[in-house]
Amino acid sequence: MFDPNMKILVVDDFSTMRRIVKNVLKQLGYKNIDEAEDGAEALSKLKSKGFDFVVSDWNMPNMDGLEMLHKIRTDPELKELPVLMVTAEAEKDKVITALKAGVNNYIVKPFTAETLKQKMDQIFEKLGKK
Amino acid sequence: MPDEMEEIIQDFIIETQEILDGLDEKFVDLEKNGADQSLLNEIFRNVHTIKGASGFLGFNQMVELTHATENVLKKLKESIIELTPPIMDVLLESMDLMKVLLGHIKDKDGGEEDLSSIISRLKEIEEGGAPPPEEETGEPVREEPAAAEEVEEKPQAPPGPAQGSAKEQPREKIQLEQTIRVDVERLDNVLNLVGELVLGRNRLTKITSNLEARYVDDPEVSSLSETMAFLSLITTDLQIAVMKTRMQQVKKVFNKFPRMVRDLARSRGKEVELIISGEETEVDKSVIENIADPLVHLIRNSIDHGLEPLDERRRIGKPEKGVLKLSAAQEGNNIVIEIEDDGRGIDPELIKAKAVERGLIHQTQADGLSEREALELIFTPGFSTAKQVSDVSGRGVGMDVVRTNIQKLNGTIDIITERGVGTRFSIKLPLTLAIIQTLMVQVGGDTYAIPLGSVLETLRVTGEEIRTVDSQEVIRLRGEVLPIIRLSRLFGTSSGNGSGKLYVVVVTASEKKFGIAVDRLKGQEEVVIKAVEGNVVNLNNSNIIAGATITGDGRVVLIVDVSMMLESLTSGALAYA
Repeated sequence: MFDPNMKILVVDDFSTMRRIVKNVLKQLGYKNIDEAEDGAEALSKLKSKGFDFVVSDWNMPNMDGLEMLHKIRTDPELKELPVLMVTAEAEKDKVITALKAGVNNYIVKPFTAETLKQKMDQIFEKLGKK
Repeated sequence: MPDEMEEIIQDFIIETQEILDGLDEKFVDLEKNGADQSLLNEIFRNVHTIKGASGFLGFNQMVELTHATENVLKKLKESIIELTPPIMDVLLESMDLMKVLLGHIKDKDGGEEDLSSIISRLKEIEEGGAPPPEEETGEPVREEPAAAEEVEEKPQAPPGPAQGSAKEQPREKIQLEQTIRVDVERLDNVLNLVGELVLGRNRLTKITSNLEARYVDDPEVSSLSETMAFLSLITTDLQIAVMKTRMQQVKKVFNKFPRMVRDLARSRGKEVELIISGEETEVDKSVIENIADPLVHLIRNSIDHGLEPLDERRRIGKPEKGVLKLSAAQEGNNIVIEIEDDGRGIDPELIKAKAVERGLIHQTQADGLSEREALELIFTPGFSTAKQVSDVSGRGVGMDVVRTNIQKLNGTIDIITERGVGTRFSIKLPLTLAIIQTLMVQVGGDTYAIPLGSVLETLRVTGEEIRTVDSQEVIRLRGEVLPIIRLSRLFGTSSGNGSGKLYVVVVTASEKKFGIAVDRLKGQEEVVIKAVEGNVVNLNNSNIIAGATITGDGRVVLIVDVSMMLESLTSGALAYA
């Protein structure tokens, strides 16, 4: 279910990283990408504009990715929103915490466009089955 | 996509540089305040961020180094190991290496560093092993094997430790959104254009006032005058506004010092508390760029020579920890930067003795010097009081270089010292280098500008008062012999009144005085300095020209460089036409 017009929010405190992720998403054909520099800004953007997908970093000032995820999952409007978490390297504890908190999938950086596509496809596939 | 990649890499370089600059200070804060959790989190996050982006961009050495550093930080964060000065040294060293690696990325030189030593030391620390071998003060590392998992949860608990940093973050965020990065070249270009505009405005003002005088009752002319006044006001405002865009906080320079002071104090076995104030004071970018070296030197001096060793301080009843104050403040069109220590002060007698020993002055000269004059001796080339040459001070760069550098910025430096109490160096610099006050002088048909900051006084002399001693023209001024340089002879212009009355502008540079002989004094004027390309100046002694400007009446006026004139005078390099 590839939709190039799907609205995606990229959340990262490091603008270079946001650019990198956006760049990879563009390579996959997505055109409708917005960004936020921490969980708090992301939440307010998510609430006001209808986003279809979130790619978020974990470790951020102000509000980190996990806290943002908690807030998304407990918000009646947002709780179904697919969230892909970006983590540094395979830190098992973190992944488990994230999955428990309701993350749809995680991706270890650095990643290629192909890996990202794979992860996103996995999410859409699961959502489709539901 | 290659352009996009290139842009991303440029972004990465700028952002990483900012992070690394900030990290030095955070590390020093951390050492001061102990294991402050929110600070540790922030540092960890910074390093983590660099690692993440480096991974994407294929900067493998950076990934390797940040990874090893991050692991140590993680253990610190989780209180599995304790932060000791030796561990701090290793962390700071790795920070320095990150800067070097970033330099390679910036220069695209494909350069690599040997990271094996630092990585193995970081690993050792991470594994709870002994801190780096060269340190003798290795404190034991606390082991808390069981705690690992519990602590892991800590930073993730929503209402938890994030609060500390949360208070500060929003402010920072707002600042970020209100700032844009602009290439310095573009700013310089705007400044140049405004400089041209100001010159044009000055001409136009002159022409307008001429017209006013000629056509007193013409309504067209009086409305021209009004428009001109308005334009003039706006131009001045514009000029100030553009100047402001080039202003930067001295913080940019001061930021380096906590780390430097910490490293220096540690290597000297001294304890120093650095107190910085007024770091938000703003000065022109060019001043910022040129003030770092002199400040570094003065701070090194204070720690090396000013502050006493611990045992001496203890003996004389001073607190063991020496205090070094670094402050900046704006005073009118100047910025005053002061470096003050509570050390032993400077003994003028010692200075004199040293100067005699070095053969800089005669004993008889030394005896006649006042305290002030004796202190001035430390600015003499070849003077250094360091008994032991340490690896930081006494590298052959003396206080004379410090003063020369400050003078190049049209600034001055003063010493205030009291024995046993401390020393204060006070540096006064103009906020901007682009506009200066000058004294306009006339020689033959040409006008020259002398920076007013160097002018002490002006005299009127007759031809007979000028004597020649050793083929150098001099005059007597209140019992003092003052060398004279005739501008007319320097620049090969004909003087209007060779034998008649002359004016002598007494100027000072490097605490030396000399006179510049001219035909006429025209008055004071604020000018915008324009750089003059060496090959454009088709005249003798072009090295003593600091720049050029255009005056209200449309003339190009050369601005003389007083310190270069003095240099040429003492080295005998002036070529008389």
